[in-house]
Amino acid sequence: MSLLAGLVKAELRKLFTTRLWWVMLVVALLFVGVGLGVLIAFAGVDQNGAAVPGLDTAQWTELAWASGSSAGIFVMILGVVLMTSEFRYQTITGTFLVTPRRGLVIIAKLVAGLIVGALFALAVLVLQAVTVIPAVMLGGGEFSLSGARVPQISIGILATLALYALFGIGLGALVRNQVAGVVAAIAWTYVIESIFTAIPALHVVGKWLPGGAAQALMSIDVNTGLGQPEWLPAWAGALVLVAWGLLFAGVATATTVRRDIT
Amino acid sequence: MVRNNFATMAAIEIKNLIKSFGPVKAVDGVSFSVEAGSVTGYLGPNGAGKTTTLRCLLGLVTPDSGEALVNGERYVTLPRPVTEVGAVLEATSFHPGRTARNHLRILCTAAGLPDARADEALEQVGLGDAAGKRVLGFSLGMRQRLALASALLGRPRVYILDEPANGLDPAGIEWLRGFLRHLAHDEGAAVLVSSHVLSEVEQTVDNVVIIAKGRLVRQGSLAELTGGGTGSVRVRSAQAADLAPALEAAGGTVERADDGLLRVRGLDAEAIGQVALDRRIVLTEVTQERSDLQKVFLELTEGR
Ligand SMILES: Nc1ncnc2c1ncn2[C@@H]1O[C@H](COP(=O)(O)OP(=O)(O)O)[C@@H](O)[C@H]1O
Ligand SMILES: [Mg+2]
Repeated sequence: MSLLAGLVKAELRKLFTTRLWWVMLVVALLFVGVGLGVLIAFAGVDQNGAAVPGLDTAQWTELAWASGSSAGIFVMILGVVLMTSEFRYQTITGTFLVTPRRGLVIIAKLVAGLIVGALFALAVLVLQAVTVIPAVMLGGGEFSLSGARVPQISIGILATLALYALFGIGLGALVRNQVAGVVAAIAWTYVIESIFTAIPALHVVGKWLPGGAAQALMSIDVNTGLGQPEWLPAWAGALVLVAWGLLFAGVATATTVRRDIT
Repeated sequence: MVRNNFATMAAIEIKNLIKSFGPVKAVDGVSFSVEAGSVTGYLGPNGAGKTTTLRCLLGLVTPDSGEALVNGERYVTLPRPVTEVGAVLEATSFHPGRTARNHLRILCTAAGLPDARADEALEQVGLGDAAGKRVLGFSLGMRQRLALASALLGRPRVYILDEPANGLDPAGIEWLRGFLRHLAHDEGAAVLVSSHVLSEVEQTVDNVVIIAKGRLVRQGSLAELTGGGTGSVRVRSAQAADLAPALEAAGGTVERADDGLLRVRGLDAEAIGQVALDRRIVLTEVTQERSDLQKVFLELTEGR
């Protein structure tokens, strides 16, 4: 077990000894921050039937508190890079020379990915706390942890971001090429997932995707004018997310354990 | 090291190794072994299969058949490989944004070695001053030294180095030669070093294994392959009959070929010229003949 702990620590050191992680963190926080700004600006505005609830409603707090899950893409890219830079810079050779049991290396990477994803989630939650709580207060509402199901949504964000890092690692192991991996991650979250999770009519498929499962976990069913979403129950969402995680972990292992490193 | 019959076992043992990449037979039935306390040069032109052999030995490439063992075991089953084997592979690379020290510390963390080994190894290869610099600004020679430092981390007794002289300047190559000899002859390590340039390793190695197109061409001690040491000098003169005894008197071994041609051992071209001058004998040709090893190697390298 201490061997695995050392390997996880080594993987975390790989990430934290280069600059990418904090660039990604800043970008992720900016991205979530802009989303929150828009939600604050348009709170209570009714446009052609597409309505954002008012600042003083529990629904607005739910919407705003869930916005942190949009940082998933950045964590996923970080996961892709954690894996693909080993091939891009051929550091995989040194990694496997130190630890020829490749399965252990992959497990360590996945665990490191979960940890980094969770750390990103914590940073995002702090950002949300310092923007949402004052906004609600100033909007005349009362910030209530339980009323807006803040704990459940927070756990959802934590789980989502942790697992998206893992998805990125699996995707990176599959494609190996860094640019292709990053492009695939963006295409997946922004094109495929957003189509299937934004349009309620497509939720029959969308609810089984990681993004839809994450929404289910947070149980955000606020109707913003596109129709009432139809997510899985929260527990099923959690199971679907874990299943995706296992799938990507399996992909990462299968593609890496036997292949010749030349 | 609690291992059976460790004393009698070769440090590196390759038995009938075969590896193909699609239609290309990269390594085709290679066998050789390397003993502790010696440097073995693994020579062959580009594409001969050297890198593939070494990667099979290090568990990075799975051979089609045959065995490649380090200390009697497959590399992938060694419990703590970096404490037994230090490897530098061609095309080993580094993340450009990471410092040399951090690169090594990551390897230490994964290997369960103390961080302090990173700085010690950097000192050993003469990179102490560059420890905190990002690899981005490193020359090829510095990268080779950093790769070598990573091989030293676990203080292993077996070294496997793929073209470590690539990118080193002449001073760097000289340093490397001394370092490898020190590892093998003073510390008793087994060193296997590949090269496609004979002259890079000729002065360092005790034994030589030559491969071409995946097949073993020659192997043996350097002395065996060079026919007992120095090469001979071809000397041609109209007065060969007078010159021969004079050269023998000066300490040379003279072999008389067809008219006017002598093959001289034990004297270099300058000494031969001096003898000829003293006797006022005109030389029409003085040619340093290549040693057997160089001949074999050139034959393999030429026509490619
Ligand atoms: N990953 C690979 N895929 C296909 N062919 C390869 C691969 N690696 C090496 N080869 C081929 O195997 C042969 C031996 O290559 P290599 O072991 O790198 O030789 P050397 O190190 O002696 O230059 C070459 O013909 C090379 O093209
Ligand atoms: Mg090579």
